[in-house]
Parts: sequence; C-alpha cells; structure tokens
Amino acid sequence: MIQADLSVILPEIILAVYAMAALLLAVYTGKDKLAAVLVWSTAGLMAALGIWIGTNGGGTQEAFGGMFIDDGFARFAKVAILLSAAAVLLMGLEYMARRNMLRFEFPLLVALSAVGMMMMVSAGDLMALYMGLELQSLALYVIASMRRDSVKSTEAGLKYFVLGALSSGLLLYGASLVYGFAGTTKFAGIIQVAQHGEVSIGLLFGLVFLISGLAFKVSAVPFHMWTPDVYQGAPTPVTAFFASAPKMAAMGLFARVMHDAFGNAIGDWSQVVAVLSLLSMFVGAVAAIGQRDIKRLMAYSSIAHMGYALMGLASGTQMGVEAMLVYMAIYVSMNIGTFAFILMLQKDGQPITSIDALHQYSRREPGKALAMLVLLFSLAGVPPMLGFFGKLYVLRAAYEAGLAWLAIAGVVASVIGAFYYLRIVYYMYFGDEGEDLDRSNSPILWVFLMGSAAVMVFGIINMFGVDSAAAAAAAALVR
Amino acid sequence: MSLFLIAALPFLGAVFPALLIRAGRNASASAAGLTTFLAFTGLMLHIPAVFNGEVVQARFDWLPGLGLNANFFLDGLGFLFATLILGIGLLIILYARFYLSREDPMGQFYTYLLLFQGAMVGIVLSDNILLLLVFWELTSLSSFLLIGYWKHLPEGRQGARMALAVTGSGGLAMIAGMLILGHIVGSYDLSVILQNKDLIQASPLYLPALILILLGCFTKSAQFPFHFWLPHAMAAPTPVSAYLHSATMVKAGLFLMARLWPVLAGTPEWFYIVATTGLITMLLGAVIALFKDDLKALLAFSTVSHLGLITMLLGFGTKIAAVAAVFHIINHATFKAALFMSAGIVDHEAHTRDIKRLGGLRHLMPVTFTIVLVASLSMAGIPPFNGFLSKEMMLEETVHTLWGGSHYLVPGLALIAALFSAAYSFRFIVHVFLGPKRSDYPAQPHDPGPGMWLGPAFLITLVILIGLFSAKLAGPMVAVAAGAVTGGNDLPYYSLKLWHGLTPALYMSIAAVLGGALLLKLHRPLQAAWEAAPRPEAKAIFDRLMHGLTKLAQLITDGLHNGAITRYAFVMMLFIIGISYYAYQGGTLAAATREVQNVGPIPLIAWFCLVIATGAVVAKHRQRQLSLVLIGVVGLVVSMGFNYLSAPDLALTQLSVEVVTMVLLLLALNFMPKESPIKAPNWVRARDGAIAVIGGLGASALIYALMLRDFAMPSISEYHLANSYKGGGGTNVVNVILVDFRGYDTFGEIIVLGIAALVIFALTEAVLGTRVRAYLLNRKPDMPQAGDAHPMMMVVATRVMMPLALMVAAYIFFRGHNLPGGGFIAGLIAAIALLMQYMASGFTWASERQRVFYHGIIGSGVLIAAATGLGAWFNDMPFLTSDYGYLYWPPLEKFEWATAALFDLGVFLAVVGAVLLALESLARFAWQPGMSTEHAMDINPARDDAPQQNSDEV
Repeated sequence: MIQADLSVILPEIILAVYAMAALLLAVYTGKDKLAAVLVWSTAGLMAALGIWIGTNGGGTQEAFGGMFIDDGFARFAKVAILLSAAAVLLMGLEYMARRNMLRFEFPLLVALSAVGMMMMVSAGDLMALYMGLELQSLALYVIASMRRDSVKSTEAGLKYFVLGALSSGLLLYGASLVYGFAGTTKFAGIIQVAQHGEVSIGLLFGLVFLISGLAFKVSAVPFHMWTPDVYQGAPTPVTAFFASAPKMAAMGLFARVMHDAFGNAIGDWSQVVAVLSLLSMFVGAVAAIGQRDIKRLMAYSSIAHMGYALMGLASGTQMGVEAMLVYMAIYVSMNIGTFAFILMLQKDGQPITSIDALHQYSRREPGKALAMLVLLFSLAGVPPMLGFFGKLYVLRAAYEAGLAWLAIAGVVASVIGAFYYLRIVYYMYFGDEGEDLDRSNSPILWVFLMGSAAVMVFGIINMFGVDSAAAAAAAALVR
Repeated sequence: MSLFLIAALPFLGAVFPALLIRAGRNASASAAGLTTFLAFTGLMLHIPAVFNGEVVQARFDWLPGLGLNANFFLDGLGFLFATLILGIGLLIILYARFYLSREDPMGQFYTYLLLFQGAMVGIVLSDNILLLLVFWELTSLSSFLLIGYWKHLPEGRQGARMALAVTGSGGLAMIAGMLILGHIVGSYDLSVILQNKDLIQASPLYLPALILILLGCFTKSAQFPFHFWLPHAMAAPTPVSAYLHSATMVKAGLFLMARLWPVLAGTPEWFYIVATTGLITMLLGAVIALFKDDLKALLAFSTVSHLGLITMLLGFGTKIAAVAAVFHIINHATFKAALFMSAGIVDHEAHTRDIKRLGGLRHLMPVTFTIVLVASLSMAGIPPFNGFLSKEMMLEETVHTLWGGSHYLVPGLALIAALFSAAYSFRFIVHVFLGPKRSDYPAQPHDPGPGMWLGPAFLITLVILIGLFSAKLAGPMVAVAAGAVTGGNDLPYYSLKLWHGLTPALYMSIAAVLGGALLLKLHRPLQAAWEAAPRPEAKAIFDRLMHGLTKLAQLITDGLHNGAITRYAFVMMLFIIGISYYAYQGGTLAAATREVQNVGPIPLIAWFCLVIATGAVVAKHRQRQLSLVLIGVVGLVVSMGFNYLSAPDLALTQLSVEVVTMVLLLLALNFMPKESPIKAPNWVRARDGAIAVIGGLGASALIYALMLRDFAMPSISEYHLANSYKGGGGTNVVNVILVDFRGYDTFGEIIVLGIAALVIFALTEAVLGTRVRAYLLNRKPDMPQAGDAHPMMMVVATRVMMPLALMVAAYIFFRGHNLPGGGFIAGLIAAIALLMQYMASGFTWASERQRVFYHGIIGSGVLIAAATGLGAWFNDMPFLTSDYGYLYWPPLEKFEWATAALFDLGVFLAVVGAVLLALESLARFAWQPGMSTEHAMDINPARDDAPQQNSDEV
C-alpha cells in the first residue's frame, strides 16, 4: 500500500530529497562556491523530471487515500512548472554570479518551491492543498527578499510575506468552513455535497474565502498589490521565476479546487472568478501604461495575463480549462524570453530596468530587438504570434460559456494593453537617441530569448502539440 | 496552382530579398518581383474556373480545437482583390527599385513589402474568419514596418505608431465580433457563414457583432472618425503609400465589408451606420484634400474620400450599389496608384511635394504630365475615363436613396463631395503642371527613366481602356466580383457604358465638374478662409487622448499602489467583504437545530471584561505598556473561558503560553518607543474601523449560525472518549491524543519547536556577530530606566517560587495522563519558573548559574521521545505504539505505567529547552554592560550599591 503510494509521488520525493541533501552538502562543504554547480544540477534534475513526467504515466492514479492525485491535468502542469523553473534558474545564473548575489540556497529554494507547486497541482484534499501551497509560499517569501542589503527588496519581501500570511489565513478559514459544512476535506467528498442551487451558506463562504486565498497566489486584482513591489524589488532572476512557474502552479491549483471540489456548483464560483478576471485584465492593462520600469511593467502585464487565464477558468467548462492551460503554457514561454531579454540589459555592468534605455535599441542589436518585438507582439496578443492564439482560446471559451460580456471586456482590455507593449516596440525601433548599453554575450540568455521568440512564431504551426495535451489534461480534470 | 501556394509564395519569397541584397539591388528586386510574378501567374491559372462561377477551394485543418482552419477559397471577389494586390504589387516592386536611393536598405524594404503582400493575399483568400483575423493583424504589423521604414524621419515614426495603434486596435475589436459571428452560426468558415443570413440577422447579438466588425473595417479603411491616421502614414516612402493606400491595406476594410455583405447588409442598422459613415468620410476627405499643399497629403485625403464613397455604396445595401462599389474599387485602384507614383516621381525629381513650390512642370516632365492628366481627370470623373463611369453609377444610386425620409440629403451631400473631388483633381494638374515655369525648384525637374514611369503608364492605359471598352474589358470581372458580393448570380440589370442618356446623374456630373473648376478658381480666398476657420485637429485629439490615458493610468496606479501595506490590506478586505455578501446572498441556510443556551451571570461578566479589554486595546494601542497589560487581561479571560467550556487542558496551556508570550513582549518593548505615533488622518481611521467592524460582525454572525446547527460530519470526540482508556490507558483524552493517538504529530511538533529555537539562536549569533552588536551595546534608552533593575522583593519572591513552581510542573506532568496536565504544560511551567530568575536577577547572573546548555535539553527531549517510539519495534509493533501496564508496589497503591509518560518526558524537555533557548537568545539583544549588580543573590540592605546609572537624569 505505502509502496504504491510512494511510487506515485516519486518525482516529488526525488526532488525534495535532492534539495535537502544538497543543502546539507553545501552547508558542510563549499557553501556559495558550490552555487553554480547546484544551479546546473538543480535545473538539470528539474528538466529531467519534467521530461520524465511528460513522457511517462497515463491515466489517473491516486495516492494516500485520494489526497494526492496524479492525472493528466497534474502532469501537464508539472511539466510546465518544472521546465520553466529549470529555464529560469539557468537564465539567472550569470546575472547573479556577476553581482555576487548567487547563494547556494537559491537553487535549492527554487527546487523546494517546485516540490510545493507539484504538490499543489496534484492536491486532492484541502490539507494536501495547504501543504503544497505553504511549501511553495515559504520558499517564495525567502526568495523574494533574497537581496537583503537592498531596502526595496526587503520591504517588498516583507509586504509579500504579511499579505501572504493574511491570504493564507483567509484560505485556511475558508478550508475550515468547507470542512465544517461538507464534513470532509477530500475534494471527492466535497463535490458530493456542493451541488449547485443548494450550496449551504457556510460552504459558500468557505468557497469565496478559498477563492480569495488562491487569487492572492495568482495575483489577481484586488489581491495583486504585492506583485509590482516584489517584481521591482527582487533581483531580476527572482522576478523571472515569480512570473513563470508559481503562476502556473497557482492557476493549476485554482482549477483543481474549482473543478474537483466544486465542479457541481460552477454557477456559484464562476461569477466571482469572472469578476476577478475582469478586474485583473483592466487594472493590469491600465496601470501598466504609466510605468517606466520594465520589471514593474511586467508585473502589471502578468496581472493582466492572469486575468485572461482566469477568464478561461471562469467559463467553467472543459474548453475553459483547456484554454486556460494553453494560455498559461504560452504565457510562461513568452515570459521566459522576455525576462531573458531584461536580464541582458545592463550598462557599465549595472542592470538597467528603465524602458527609456531602450530607445533605438534595434539599431544596436537588431537580432535581439527583433526577437523582443516578436515577444512583445505576442504578449499583446497580436496575430499571428502565438499569444494571439492563447487569447483566442480563452475568449472563445468564455464566449461559448455564456460570458459574452467578459469576452468583449477582455478584447477591450487587450486593446488598452496593446498600447504599452507597442510603446516599447516603438522605442526600440523609432525612439529618440538611446543610451549605449553593454553588449551582452551570454549564450544562455541568447538561446532562451531566441528560442522563446521562435516558439512564438513557429508555434502557430501546430503549437507543438500543446493544444492536444491541454485538451487531454482538461478532460482529465473536468469530468 | 494551389491556393496554399499562392498565399504562401510571398511569405516564402520574403526571405530572398534580404539574403540577396549582398548580390546587388537588382538581384534583390528581381527576387521579389519573381515571387510576386509566380503567385500572380498561379492566380491567373484560375481564371477559367472563376469566370465560370466556380469557387476554388483548398482546405486544411489547422487547429480544429479552436475552430481555426487553414481554409482558402477563391471566388470572384477574392480573385479581383488578389489580382489588384499582386498586379499592382509587381508594378510597385519595379517602381521602388528605381525610387529608393542607395542609402536605403533595399533588401529590408522588399522583405517587408512581400510580408505585407502575403498578408493581404491571405486576407482575400481566407475561408475562415479566424484565419482572416490572423492575416488582418499581420497587415497592421507589416505596414507598421513599411510606414516606419524611413527611420530618420520623425513623422514617419509617429505615423507608423499611430497607424499601428488605430488599425491594430480595430483588429483586436474585430476579434470579438468574429467570435460572436462564428458562435451564432456555429462555424468559423466563411463559406458556411455566408449561407446563414437569416440566422445572423435574427440573432440578438447581430448589432454588437456588426459594430465590432465594422470597427475593424472602419479603422483599417480610414473611415470617419478614424480617418486621421492615413495622412500621417504618408511619411512612408512613396512606393509604400502607393501600394498601401491605393490597392491594398485600406481596401482590406472594404473587402471585408464586401465579403460579409450578403449576411450583414440589408438591415436599417447596416444602412445607417455604414452609409452614413461613408457619406461623411467622402465629404470630409474631399473638402480637406482641396486645402492640402502636400501632394501626398492631398492624395491621402482624396483616398479617404474615395474609400468613403465605396463604403457608402456598400452601405446602401442594394445590389446595384454593390456593383458600383466593386467597379469603383477597380477604377480607384488604377488611377490612384498611378497618381501616387506620379507624386513620387515629382518628389523624386523636383525634391519637393509642396504644391506651392511647384508649377509649370508641363514642359519639364511631359511624360509625367500625361500620366497625371489622365489619372486626375479620371479621378475628377471626366469621360471617357473609367472614374467617370463608376462615379456616375454612384450618383445615380444616391438619387434613389432615402436617408431618414429625406430625398435630397444623400444626393446633395454626394454632389458636394463630387464637386470638391473634381476641384482637387484639377488642382493637381493646374497648380503643379500648368502655369509658368519657375526658377526656384529645389532641383531641376526632368522625367525619370522608364523604370519609374512604366508602371503608372501601364495603369493609365488601363484607365483609358476600361473607360472606352468597359463592358468588354471590365464587364466580366465586375460581374463575377459583384456576383460574389451579392451572393448570387441574379444581378439586376446594369450596363457599363459612357452614355446612358440624359439622366439626373449626368446633370450632377456636369454640375460637379463645373463647380469643381469654379472652386479651383476661388482656391486662394477659400484657402485663406480654411486656414482661419477653427477645426478639430484629429491628430491633436488622438495625442490628447493618449496623454489622458497615461494620466489616468498613473492616477489609478498612484491611488492603488502607494506602497503602504495598509492600503493594500484595505483594498483586499473591502473586496472580501463584497464577495462575502455575494456568498450570503447565494447560499442556502437550513433551519437551526440547536437552542441558544442561557448564559449565567459570571460568564456574562467575563465576556464583558473580554469585550472591554479588547476595545481598550484598540483604543489605547499607542501606549504600548498599557496595551500589554490589557492583552494580558484578554488572554486570562480566554483561558477562563476554556475552563468554563470544559477544556481545562486548553485553559492550562493557554495560560502558560500567555505568560511566556507576555515575557517575550516585555522584552520587545525594551527596544521600542513607548508610544506609537498617529500617522493616518481621522477619516482613514474611521473608514478602516468601519471595515474592521463589518468584517468582525460578519465573521461572528457566521460562527453563530454555524453553532446553531449540527456539524456535517459525526463528531470525532465520541471515538476518542470511547477509546482513550482502552487504547491509550489514560482518561485525559487530550493528553492521550497528544502522546498516543497523534503521537506522530507531536513528535514532529517538538522537532519543529526545537528547530525553531535553534534557528532563533543561530540568527542571534549571526546578528550579534555584525556591527549591530556595537549599536545595541551603545544604545541609549529613550526614557530614564528604573533605578533598581532587580528589586529585592522580586528577587526574593522568585527564589521562593522556583522550587514551588518546579514542583507544580512535576505534579502537572505526572497527573497528565489521566487528569488535565501533561508534558507540554509542565514544560511551560518549568520554563516560566526559570525565566523568572532571568527577569528578577538579570541575564548575567542567571547565565552564570546555568549548568546545562539548552541545546542539549532540546536534543535529549527529542531523543527520549524517539527512543520511546523505537521501543515499540522491540515488541514487534509499529513506531510509536504505546503500551501500558500496572505496577504493584506494596506499601503504595497500584501504579499505572505507560510508555506514553516517557514520551511525554521528551515533550517536556523539548519545550523547556526550546522556550528558554529562544528567550535567552532574544534577551541577549537587550543585554548591556552594567545592567545587573554583582551581588544579585545577596540580599543585604546594608550595602547600597544598586546600579544608579541614570540617577542624575531623574
């Protein structure tokens, strides 16, 4: 019995054991001298696990009495989480090493938070959910304030921690209400009780508090306030990490709770999620316009993107989940490229984050400027880049689920949002006299930037099969 | 040739010019020309099929899950547009080869041009509206690159940006429209959509879909009020203007309106939106065009005007108007492309496009003059050129059109527009080519080489031929294209010929031409009046809009994200209260199953104490010491409440934890100012208070409702009550749960507790190893400290208390298994007893007498607990299974012994060690030299050397 359980969570165990063993090893041997090695080995392990999970396994398996579910949905999310986390780790290596910020804990915290994320998307029980969520969050709190000597970074980390604790409290309160009124913490049991139209008031309160807690994790408006501060304050590699894997995990968890536990009461949560989605899209789009700092801008951009992903979720249909997964996969790949670009920006060895520095960038680095142009168009959702297809997916899902108002609002928000992406393009190609930035020659960043841009262009041919994988994953979740 | 190939060829070909530019400009241009020519030939191979009325198709499922299929089809309309795009594209490629100078990166230019061409061909061949959208936005992007091609010109950059912002946004709006349309029909394939006119027009979503789609069309085709971007896009190199604004990009909007004409047209909404917009645009464009001095601006506004004309015709919704629209599309493309190229030639040779600086070029540039003459006359609507034919058809149609009950509105305005149109056409001829030769041209004008004039010359040949032999040359094309627009071959009767007899349209034409000539005569005074008249400048409005948007964005950002965590929490709480209300509205509430119990007088008093103390904490929280006392009251009442509600274990725990926390808080107060300042204004505090009250009341109401009803699950208490003695050998259920049923959890917890204490210790070590230590040692308290840090009374009391307290701890520990108590509580009590010594006698004194390190105590506690657990293995039981038995010790009563007690000992030790280690570590921050006396233990009133370090300040 226990053996069977353990074999289901083997990937998680491997990663967790690795992280702790490596932590001990590093403490007693080279400490920060080992950091670069650890980054490579962690990234390698996570990528290998991602590929392993992606290629192996089929069907649905449960472990620990249904507390842990390994199904197509979880596998899809895990592959995205592991691969993006690995990519972001590698991208930040040189940046952190050069600025003497590379601590050996960094890759291991990332690995531990990845374990938490894997747990989150596989949770089949409120307890498992909270365990995964906290494992991930605690690692993230630390990572967010990694740059201890910077006031901005520590302040951002502290805010994130306090608000995160508040949201965790909300989530727990919600979970206990759900338990009180459903009599069980298992999703499979809750779904029996939560039937649309006869959901008791306590269960509904539990549901909305759960949603509030989860919304904080996906940084949906109005629980998004920490995002710009953390994105700006944290070192760029950390920001890149925040913008990729944790978002995917939180979204996966969100979908898992909504469909696995409250799949029979879609009408009760779809409106709330729709409101979150609407607010996120608009606040994200409008607030980004006033930003001059590209990291802060990316924070608002990620808020807006979460709004679109939530739109898929709000549909409450299988198509909606599929759309959300496709959207998230595309979003994560776009972000990897964009942050690879941001990581390259530096002047006299100092990182540059002001978008004013991008004036006339295309004249100095035409190749990178072109890649960034592709990525920005994709972020804006302009056809024929891949980002457009993601938007089309969620818009269609929302529209067909009867949320026409949300779909139309989404289009309006994307028109507003296009403005600030295009402004960067405008600066890069037709701006005034620009600054002379250093020429970055990091091959890793170059590969990720170009690769991500290429994905945005060539992905439109068949999306590399992500659409069918997402369809299968959605089918596994929405039954 | 397969439609796939035709659509793909320009994209494939786009690679070559950029690659071949190293082999020379000719190679680059030939590569571009050759691919276009190939695609054009492929298209021409379909002539027999298309003219037979067949629809050529090519289908391929792309992303079926999304409804996006790479389906192409070619009918008369698509054929017409594809021919225009590829045909004029060929001429432009030839022209641009000679137009662009050596400094311009020509390879890039042709690459962009072919990309654009491919996107346009894609639009007109798509059989899937989503695919069409993709190509649609691709034209916005590639035109962005083309318009901004001359990066050194600031107008070029701004023009490009504005064009992209307007057309791109319109395209995005169209996405929604297309989704609605596809959803109404259930398919995204145009061939299916076009069959479902009734379904679409009956749908309640027809109007939103129509508006959203038209937004895309109007922005693309520069219809009022989006017309302003087009003239600004004229900063592009002339070949680009000629291509984009005569035959392709701006016609995309018209194409889409024509394409969807069968299903969208014919309703009053369509008529009033489309025809009115077209009419206004036509008039406005014509009037503005007359007063532009820049040749290209003149042509740009004339393009706007002609696009309006075609839009209006499509808007009429009659079949005959659709025929006229199609015919004018052909005619406009021919003469306007020729005119743009000629304007480019003038600019290229004379180095200026300013009409005021030109004139008298007739003899200097005879070839160009001929071209412009024919094309302009055609634009003015003079027979026998093709412009006359379609303009007359248009005027004829306006006569039959009622607008809001008025017979004269549409024809009247159309006449005025035609009049201005004739005027600016004449102006192009008269003010540029006629008149006396000037001596101050920026460069000596002369005719260019044939490379540049061949293209326009070919086009004006078409202008003349179509004018003369319209029925033969253009007839079949117009018939199939119009047939495709109107969705059937049953076109009403019309005839393409110059002489229709004395119709109202002819009179109007004559009036327009004469009036136009008159207007030109009066141009100078009119121009002056125009300059003086106030008028809204669309670009300024656009800029102000953009500026306003940015301001609004900053306002929102500053309002929401001012960096204060209180603001963040405020917004979050507000939203949570909002959705809680939603939950309250939506949920069902079963009837209460329990009675409200009576409350006795004493609990009520305690409750009042609790409420008052809590309220006082909130009110007085700025005085920190006072609030600490009040918090103590709250804790005490809560402990009593636990006791009252039959949870003595909880009460004991709460009480001891309370004490430890208080000590910790006292320690912390040491470092803080005694009062906290007021920062927020009153109204903010009132607002926050209100939110807090609402939230608190809501939560209480929820709990109240919960407690009046049965739980959804059977209570687990019964099980534990029933099995506590049987399974764990104890009657204190709480303790049995802790050490037995949930022994695993407890084991984990004491480890965590120990680790937490160790981490606090490690952090203290780390911090005190830095400069912080010096700061801490030298800090001056903000208030004078008490004269005697270690008052004698307290020292004596703690000494006496210590053995007593330890005894109580032992007592609590041993009774724990059966009566309230246990290792955890005992540990806290013991820890408090020891803490008292630190407090009373000082840190130095206490640590000097410390024999065992707390680390060791924690470790031994964990080890004892683990060993107890492991012991079970020797009895072939799983880890941590407890056992118990009875021991008879003759003089005494019978004893119960349980392995759980040993485990509890581990808990006890871990708790003692952890609490003391943590507090000791924290206390080290506060330690300063000279704080404690040397003789704290000796109580000798005779000696008077108590520390008086601050006495002089008192």
